[in-house]
Amino acid sequence: MTNRVTRRRFLVSTAALGGLAAGSTALAACGGSEESGSSTTAAGGGGAAANTLTFDNWTLYIDKPNDDLFGEGGTLAEFQKATGIEVEYTEGINDNNELFAKIQPLLSKGDPIGSTIIAPTFWMAGRLLQLGWLDKLPLAEIPNAANLIPSLQDPPSDPTGEYSLPWQSGMAGIAYNKAITGRELTTMDDMWDPAFNGKIGMLTEMRDTIGLIALSLGIDLADPDSQDYQPAFAKLEEEVANGQIRQFTGNDYVDDLEQGNFAACIGWSGDVAQLSVSNPDIKFVVPESGGTLWFDTMVIPKGSTAEQIEAAGKFMNFVYDPVNAARITEFVQYISPVQGVQEELRKMGGEAATLADNQLLFPNASTLARLQTWGTLSVEKEQQMDEEFARISGA
Amino acid sequence: MAAATTDDTGLRKGRFAPYGLLSPGILWLLLFFLVPVVMLVKASLSTKPSRFAEPEFAWDFSNYTAALSEYSPEFIRSFLYAGIATVLAILIGYPLAYWIATCGGRWKNFLIGLVVVPFFTSYLIRTIAWTSILQDDGVVTGLYQLLPWVGSDGRILATPMAVVGGLTYNFISFMILPIYVSLEKIDFRLTEAAADLGCAPWRAFRKVVLPLSLPGIFAGSLLVFIPAAGDYLNARYLGSPQTSMIGTVVQNKFLVQFDYPQAAALSLVLMVIITVMVLVYSRFLGTEGLAV
Repeated sequence: MTNRVTRRRFLVSTAALGGLAAGSTALAACGGSEESGSSTTAAGGGGAAANTLTFDNWTLYIDKPNDDLFGEGGTLAEFQKATGIEVEYTEGINDNNELFAKIQPLLSKGDPIGSTIIAPTFWMAGRLLQLGWLDKLPLAEIPNAANLIPSLQDPPSDPTGEYSLPWQSGMAGIAYNKAITGRELTTMDDMWDPAFNGKIGMLTEMRDTIGLIALSLGIDLADPDSQDYQPAFAKLEEEVANGQIRQFTGNDYVDDLEQGNFAACIGWSGDVAQLSVSNPDIKFVVPESGGTLWFDTMVIPKGSTAEQIEAAGKFMNFVYDPVNAARITEFVQYISPVQGVQEELRKMGGEAATLADNQLLFPNASTLARLQTWGTLSVEKEQQMDEEFARISGA
Repeated sequence: MAAATTDDTGLRKGRFAPYGLLSPGILWLLLFFLVPVVMLVKASLSTKPSRFAEPEFAWDFSNYTAALSEYSPEFIRSFLYAGIATVLAILIGYPLAYWIATCGGRWKNFLIGLVVVPFFTSYLIRTIAWTSILQDDGVVTGLYQLLPWVGSDGRILATPMAVVGGLTYNFISFMILPIYVSLEKIDFRLTEAAADLGCAPWRAFRKVVLPLSLPGIFAGSLLVFIPAAGDYLNARYLGSPQTSMIGTVVQNKFLVQFDYPQAAALSLVLMVIITVMVLVYSRFLGTEGLAV
């Protein structure tokens, strides 16, 4: 992969950074047709044209051949070649709650949000479903949905599997810098070792932080409304009060680990997979008591036309083909929800083949057995837990 | 009567002309200050029937009592940190502004330009850059640990010191510029006159220069204190759970918990306290001095 930054890619990312969703979709539309040479109707901000599809996703979450979303051999370009549908792909999602704050005023009034597909994390997808803001997926268009790995079929956030299809998945566990800890870590109790006082980080993502602590106390996550998480909050509060926990961070824990500010923290598998390439001291482990399995999942918020929904179905079918899914995995290095990706990576050979044996991308059975996915929290319980978490984390 | 009216029109024109000239400013204040504040007041007196419902106006003052009872530590911390940062900004910024104004010569504009240069980088990036500079394994922290009362476990990041330092760094330009402007206008022959009358240099500074530059200090203090008191980025990136400020709480209430009523109440309480503090402060330093 070269580091060449094309002008259009620069424009797209700058526009997306500025939150100019409309601007970036327009730019993406121009660039796409310019490169492919086809003259599909350029859509306005709303993406109303018949053969375009709008997809708003997290950053760095799809393959970019030559650092270019629509480059030769890239998934988006291949999809257009195969179906004639142009994808207006934006990287506008930065945080689930932020996303919700952005789309709530529109969806609660029944207005379209301007994107046919978005990929929130499963619990946020579950919230949108509970609020009645999602359309059913056109499963007739998606025969490849049968390739979904069994562990992610019919999750609690979408019990019938009719409203969401996972995009990528990953684990939350312990990330640590062996140069600082001086030893391997295997349990959550290792995090509370007084030797690491003031050197431990937690995630601002409540489900991952409380989830790992709850699992270490033997509290289950699958049916959260029947459980009392107070002991986990009490444990967290104790470790904040005694100074063991230094900070609550988002993705920026990556820097704190590298700089030695954190000896260990709760982290995400995909980040560590990429970090450990340049710094072998940085390691990831699912604690013996268990870690959380999360996934970001494609959903169709209400307000799209039947044609747009059909196009969305075709796209989902395309990325659920193991060949296309493997190309995305090679770039993003998270756990793919599509069966057959491991074999495809082996076939690709070279560096891609080594990924097929990476435990962070293809966790073995004993790791998988230790992972749990949060069940759906009731609105009241989620609010109460969010408030408690904010109070303890000093927000 | 009729004659009087014709005479009046000329007068009236003169009376209304200032308002006509002011109208863009008044319109701006109405649209971007008054309307948002009214909306904020309305939101702060609302209740939400359920978490994801729209707030409903209900004269609900409980948001205020809750804001004050639950978050007084964060309020106190915000004003304490912002106050220390303001004092530090005066102590660091005043000598710098004085030096540029008196010894800058033809380099004055260039030196003032240097003061503004950090603004060419985003505020967020500048704050995060400090996490690299002050990292635990870094040079700065290494030197800090050599201090006799610190020891090898000492750290700078995730302490109140780092948060106050970040606030001072991020807002100090707002202190230097107004002080420089007020010093620039001083006729320094006044200090010579003071010397002729038997005043020692330090006393001449205290009796002549300092009083004349008070308007700059006053303006600078407001420009540093007000944004610093409502800031959350420095507490978020340079602090720890024990150093959270009121801005952190408001941000979380708005964006994570969707508790708009309480977030609005917290913001208004912050505004009221700051306004009162500014009024008290202006009585000490005197706003009429600002006209100098």
